[in-house]
Amino acid sequence: MESILSLGLALLAAPLFPGIILKVKALFVGKKGPPLFIKYYTFVKLLKKGSAYSTSTTFVFAAGPIISCAGAIMVLFFFPIGAIAPVFSFHGDVIVLFYILGLGRFFTIAAALDTASPFQGMGAAREAFFGTLAEASIFAILILFYRMNGSLSFADYFTGLQPISLTSPAGSLLLLVIVSLFMVLLTENSRVPVDDPATHLELTMIHEVMVLDHSGPDLALIELGSFYKLFFYSAFITLMLCPLDPARGLLNLPLFYAVLALVYVAIGFIESVTARFKMRRTPKFILTSCTLVFFAAILTMGFNK
Amino acid sequence: MLELLFLLPMIAGLAALFLPANFGRGLLIVAALFHFQLSIMAWMDKLPIYTADYFAKTPAGMLVLLVTSFIFLCISFYAVSYIRESKVENESVFVGCMLLFLGTMSMVTIADHPIVLWIAIEATTLVSAPLIFLHRSKEALEATWKYVLICSVGIALALLGCFFITLSVDIAEIDVPLTFSSLNLVAAQLDPLWLKVGFIFIIIGFGTKMGLAPMHTWLPDAHSEAPSPASALLSGALLNCAFLGVYRAHTLMHLAGLGDFSSNLLIGFGLLSMFVAGIFILRQADYKRMLAYSSIENMGIIAFGVGIGGFALYGAILHMIHHSLIKSSLFLSAGNILLGFQTKLVTELGCLVKYFPKTFFSFFAGFIGISGLPPFGIFISELFILIGAFQSGHPVFAMLFMFALLLVVAGAAQIVTDISFSENETSAIRGEESLLRTVPPYVLLLASIILCIWMPTEMYDTILNTIKTLGGTIHG
Amino acid sequence: MINLNDAVLVIILLTILLSLASNRLLSLVKNMAIQGFMVSLIPLLLERHSSIGSGGLIFFQVMILIKAVLIPGLLYVALKRISIKREIEPIVGYHASLFAGLVIILLSIFITDKLHLSVPDGNEMLLTTAITTMSAGFFLMMSRRKAITQVIGYLMLENGIYLVGTALTKHSHTIYVVEFGVLLDLLVGVMIMGIIMHNINHAYDDIDTDRLNRLKD
Repeated sequence: MESILSLGLALLAAPLFPGIILKVKALFVGKKGPPLFIKYYTFVKLLKKGSAYSTSTTFVFAAGPIISCAGAIMVLFFFPIGAIAPVFSFHGDVIVLFYILGLGRFFTIAAALDTASPFQGMGAAREAFFGTLAEASIFAILILFYRMNGSLSFADYFTGLQPISLTSPAGSLLLLVIVSLFMVLLTENSRVPVDDPATHLELTMIHEVMVLDHSGPDLALIELGSFYKLFFYSAFITLMLCPLDPARGLLNLPLFYAVLALVYVAIGFIESVTARFKMRRTPKFILTSCTLVFFAAILTMGFNK
Repeated sequence: MLELLFLLPMIAGLAALFLPANFGRGLLIVAALFHFQLSIMAWMDKLPIYTADYFAKTPAGMLVLLVTSFIFLCISFYAVSYIRESKVENESVFVGCMLLFLGTMSMVTIADHPIVLWIAIEATTLVSAPLIFLHRSKEALEATWKYVLICSVGIALALLGCFFITLSVDIAEIDVPLTFSSLNLVAAQLDPLWLKVGFIFIIIGFGTKMGLAPMHTWLPDAHSEAPSPASALLSGALLNCAFLGVYRAHTLMHLAGLGDFSSNLLIGFGLLSMFVAGIFILRQADYKRMLAYSSIENMGIIAFGVGIGGFALYGAILHMIHHSLIKSSLFLSAGNILLGFQTKLVTELGCLVKYFPKTFFSFFAGFIGISGLPPFGIFISELFILIGAFQSGHPVFAMLFMFALLLVVAGAAQIVTDISFSENETSAIRGEESLLRTVPPYVLLLASIILCIWMPTEMYDTILNTIKTLGGTIHG
Repeated sequence: MINLNDAVLVIILLTILLSLASNRLLSLVKNMAIQGFMVSLIPLLLERHSSIGSGGLIFFQVMILIKAVLIPGLLYVALKRISIKREIEPIVGYHASLFAGLVIILLSIFITDKLHLSVPDGNEMLLTTAITTMSAGFFLMMSRRKAITQVIGYLMLENGIYLVGTALTKHSHTIYVVEFGVLLDLLVGVMIMGIIMHNINHAYDDIDTDRLNRLKD
């Protein structure tokens, strides 16, 4: 019951947080910024509209948004939000889940290619490339967690017997992981400095260019999916940052959401103070994150003795 | 007090940085005289030590100190004339850094705490860097950069070596003050593994500063680009100070029963340096670089002699003294040539004997001395080292040693004869041979000859005391 | 509570890795400031030093001042005077450098493991970090062309050596006067390197050490 409650709350609250990012960025440049609920308003607005389909597209184009959004939601079903046991869990679910996210990406890319627009193909190529690189980091993290904790499911990571947290014996290594995961978060969710969600020039886009042709409810689904994905990564970082006691149940949630909001503020902060990388710098950025985790993985040898 | 030995020149140096240039020159000579007097007083045991934790009077240190102080005195007279004639821009920097240089080198000679020794040697690098950069040419810039960076990194490794020696004390769980003199007493109990590791780092670190190949790359650049008085000081005094660091560590190793290990390392580095110098000296186009390579060779000889031990050890110590005297004399003569002809390239020079007879004589005599011919001291010291090598059963090394000597002499002879006698149509000659510039090289050479014929008993005893701890002897 | 000591060491490792990957000179300098601060914290955190007298406290404050403020400050000033912001063409590329960083840390762990050292307090992690810092400093010096990066490599080497010193030796040997001398040497060294760097920039309009090629045999 608790699990379903917290899941429902997460699903409802996820679009709120990107609003925080926008607010932080606006405050940084001295503007008032859009209201916090802006993403809900856009969502509703988009739903009211109809979708336009190019005559050259096939069913793949329509399936893309649905599958990517569904994938992102599915991940949340398995994730212990606020250290509350997730709705489902089985041994090895992390691997499946990251590939479900990958499936979502595959269909987004396929949908982009389906439009046969040259810009979209370019964006798709970039997304596939950076996504592949980021995958290396993610799996390095999984290897590290397996070394530290011996399990392969989100539930065991944070609610199991030996929760992964900064206070555990080898906890200081998590500092490296957090930095790395944050970099992955920026990459996977197309944030500055890897990609700029607010850019207006197709040539410089990565993610945005792929969804140019989607409109109305389709676009709404894509946006929703990206909120959940961002929510998932941020929640991941949050749980590492502040260890919560699973036994306290729903009481964990206020603290969890407070720290989560801080993570979003950090994203907003980074977006405000850094400029976007040149496209060819991006692989180095992702590779750095990957190296950090490997660093940590090697260091566990030093700790486990 | 013994600490005055480095405090006096340091204070004078700092003062010279801020005084007007004319005062500076006077201060240079006065401080040099006082320092020489203090060194003599230190020899006569008139200076008590106040900080025995860090400083001590050791025979080896005293020898280096006396040589340094004497050379500096000669150079200071030369420098006064040199500054006047070569239009040095930053005169106060030159004088100040020369004095600071003397101060830090004196600190090296009396340092007893390994880390204080390290601090002093690193400080010599730092205060001598502005000297090399004095002429502000692009070449000087490059030489300074290499000097500071390579030496700093090398010496940083020596610090690591010092830490390892400290570790060997800790592992053995001995509670003694961390000074070379007290460590020597308990050497046999120290942890051998860490002593060895420490020695490797120290010989690499201080060896860099001493100019042992293959860490010598900074030396020819720095010595050739520095103004001649500074080159003379770098070659004649600084290298000895770095050698002292290696020597202290070697003594400790010997007393700990690891003498074979450190000796072999020293022999290896020594021979390698001699060969590298010999190869680079052939067809060298720049006579100051030639002298610099000769310094590398001589440092190799000293390391070789110390490594062989016994008879050769006595030779090595003698060699150190005579090399300092003769090489600084040679650099001063080279400075005179440079002032006269305004070039460092051998091909653009000629007929030194006609234009500058006095300089020619000191330069050629210096060459004879450095080549190991009588009546200069290097003849004796090299002979001792050779005999020592044969006696201790290293005939192969002795042969290699002789071959390397031959290479260097051949290379140097060609250059020196070219400069002296070739009929090149050159001579953009400038200036006269002023007395103040020509006399110091003669004084230094004379000192070498005198020490050859008659050595004061105190000095003789000190040398014997130096080599006694290492099992060196002069009675076969 | 989280083990502060380990956390500091991990942050040091992090700064090393970031320095290997960073092509902006300014961020390198910032990295050095953080690293200097963390390195100066280590002796304070080690338990065996918990009984530090007032002299020791003052010394550590001076050390933090020098390592975390003055030296990076000097580098920053040097950087402001030269108009170069990035290291464009390193000898070893950034991806390869990152990989080298991984190899270095693997080797350090291997060495620490092989030594079978009776490290005081069994602090292997500290020794690993120290060796990594040293080797990374060396690597940085050899793989970059700009003079300022080489100075930063030298500083990193020095930091590593200092860590070895704190990791291996008993604190009873430490005499603050002596340590202070070491620090002073370091500070003056960086100052002199800064001055030379300024002159190199003045003479060549660049601080690329490849241009220093006039002297050779």
